[in-house]
Amino acid sequence: MIRLQRCVACGVAQYPSREICVACLSDRLAWETADSLPGCVLARTRLHHSNEPRFRPHLPLTVGLVQFDAGPVAVCFLAETAAPGDSVQVRIGMGDLLEAA
Amino acid sequence: MTARSYEGVALCCPVTEPYVRRSDHGAAWFLAQALRRLLDASGVAKPDIDGLCASSFTLHPDTAIGFTQYAGLSPRMLEWLPMGGACGVIALRRAARAVQAGDAEIVACIAGDTANETSFRDLLATFSSFSRHAVYPYGAGGPNASFALIADAYMRSTGATREDFGTLAVSQRANARRNPLALLRNELTMADYLAARPIAEPHHLFDCVMPCAGADGFLVMPEARARSLNLPFVRVLGTIERHNGFPDDPVQSRGGWAMDRDSLWAQAGIGPGDVQLVETYDDYPVISMLQFEGLGFCAPGEAPGFVRRHDFTIEGSLPHNTGGGQLSMGQAGAAGGYLGLVEAMRQLLGEADRRQVPGARHALVSGFGMINYDRGLCTSAAVLGRT
Repeated sequence: MIRLQRCVACGVAQYPSREICVACLSDRLAWETADSLPGCVLARTRLHHSNEPRFRPHLPLTVGLVQFDAGPVAVCFLAETAAPGDSVQVRIGMGDLLEAA
Repeated sequence: MTARSYEGVALCCPVTEPYVRRSDHGAAWFLAQALRRLLDASGVAKPDIDGLCASSFTLHPDTAIGFTQYAGLSPRMLEWLPMGGACGVIALRRAARAVQAGDAEIVACIAGDTANETSFRDLLATFSSFSRHAVYPYGAGGPNASFALIADAYMRSTGATREDFGTLAVSQRANARRNPLALLRNELTMADYLAARPIAEPHHLFDCVMPCAGADGFLVMPEARARSLNLPFVRVLGTIERHNGFPDDPVQSRGGWAMDRDSLWAQAGIGPGDVQLVETYDDYPVISMLQFEGLGFCAPGEAPGFVRRHDFTIEGSLPHNTGGGQLSMGQAGAAGGYLGLVEAMRQLLGEADRRQVPGARHALVSGFGMINYDRGLCTSAAVLGRT
């Protein structure tokens, strides 16, 4: 399940998660959970270099910026077919990391 | 509210501890070399340094306070400025106000870092809380990946091409070939630039800075003190800084400069057309283009056309990153935030030797730093003038 943090006091959604709300500084925060969350691809890159040896056998890797329909922007692994402007669904994949397709 | 002028403040003695690809020395050694060079260049005795501004990534776990004991300094004003590529101008701001207020008389501003097999990876892996959990696990591309995303969005929205980025990289290399301090001095042609291997598309090898070790520094003091020491100096005509500007932009398409540039040029009493050289923070060419736009050299989204119209070499229509910038000099950690400022000082002092811009009277220097999550958070800029 993917989860996104939303402020109970002012309703703003945020990512990365925090202990306070980025908008109103309230610490009354709730988690919205779903199988996947809709978003839109803003940008993508193909990584041909990694600073960590464990990623090197998997290069090139496609990584993107995805804006959730709820507002915040996340760095995600991106499906090969997903291009900027596309609507995607964001799920939790391997290693508890975000994957958008 | 209008910022008070920097009247009476002198900027002296640009120094560089030459950059090297790797070093067994620690960051404190590099900071100390910059400090020693400042003492040598100025004739000031160490106990007379009563203010210190310092920046470094690899000094960790120490900060400026630890460095005072390490180097035997007892300043009455101390600033630790962990603001990466924005730290040079911000050090200048803090130092200048301290001097005007009498909180310090002679402020040493220094930034430096070491580099070895593991230092860069260690820095990236723990760069920030957000980065550690929400960026680095996605392939560990580091800033190459984060800025590739910004560049990808910029190219789509403005029509910028790889050739536009290449124009900046290639002209900076031409400038670097006249700078003995630049680490990369081989000729770089547009064909070389375009044929380079991809790193994080759209970024290829020559879009990316090379991490290295080194240090830079300068002194800030009252004009009267500079005169009594017979030190030539540069004046500060205006400065700005901003942190986390435009947080609601989904992708970074502008930096905080755009919020403050009117103040900058109003303080300086001149406009973008009145500077003879520009030193931008060039961790990637796209970021230089955001600075041209944000600081009023062209309209938002129009830097590609601006780049096509100008020649950025020493004798060109707008000399830019006249020492080669980080793309050709190397990125010595936090010293990358000083490199443009130190180069602008050398130009305005007439100390730039073979790369001297003829008739350099005014210079624009800008800084950019700290990709905490998806964008650079710190922006700064200064307009400097020859005396």
